[in-house]
Amino acid sequence: MEKRLSELNFDEEGTVKEIDESLLRQVAGMGVRIGKNIRMATKQPMKGPVVVEVDKSFTSLGRSMAEKIVVEVKK
Amino acid sequence: MKILLMGHPNVGKSVFFNRLTGANVIESNYSGTTVDYTCGYMSLDGKEVEVVDVPGTFSLDPKDRAEEVAVAMLKEAKDAYVICVIDSSKLERGLYLALQIIEEGYSVIIALNMDDVAEDKNIEIDNQKLEQILGVPVVSTIAIENIGISNVISRLKDAKPVDVEDITAGRVEIHHCGGCGCT
Repeated sequence: MEKRLSELNFDEEGTVKEIDESLLRQVAGMGVRIGKNIRMATKQPMKGPVVVEVDKSFTSLGRSMAEKIVVEVKK
Repeated sequence: MKILLMGHPNVGKSVFFNRLTGANVIESNYSGTTVDYTCGYMSLDGKEVEVVDVPGTFSLDPKDRAEEVAVAMLKEAKDAYVICVIDSSKLERGLYLALQIIEEGYSVIIALNMDDVAEDKNIEIDNQKLEQILGVPVVSTIAIENIGISNVISRLKDAKPVDVEDITAGRVEIHHCGGCGCT
């Protein structure tokens, strides 16, 4: 099942499938790239940033960025 | 000769800088402590060498002012040596930046800093294998405890530009000029 990264629930895991062209390079340096395993760690309230785990390290992304990343969710 | 300290925010570049130059720039456990660069000097083989503490950057595509400074500094010093400081517990993303710098044709040496933190997280890194793959010196350090800094200095001579295509084709070779104690 595909979901936007921003729609992942807490602790939900998946594989990065699509990243919007506009932030492809921007998030690459933080370890978020296509094919990577990603886990939702924290979702801040009020449309705040999300914290995700990639390769055993955490990175935070703005909600608007997370909306532009598509994840194939693991069942 | 000029040495640039580059790496992600909050990996210990400023601690490294202080250890190398004996300076006392502010170090703290927060990303973005260094927003402008600081220059200092250390002596290497009797010669005075300029060391620059560059603000942290995630990649060479700048997203804010501090990163712009970092990238501009790198582009200005085409023949500089770059000590790429990486947080050992976040190796993968650090290597992304390291590869970008190698790709630009700089002589890079990789310092895997915070070795103790990685150890706490049960992360083991095969430095020699990394060296073989990348063709650049890789040294484990714990800058805050002054461990491994002298190894970095002695291996600086081994740093040389590497062609990224050689890395992908597995054609790189690493030469040890000695001084580091390994075989």
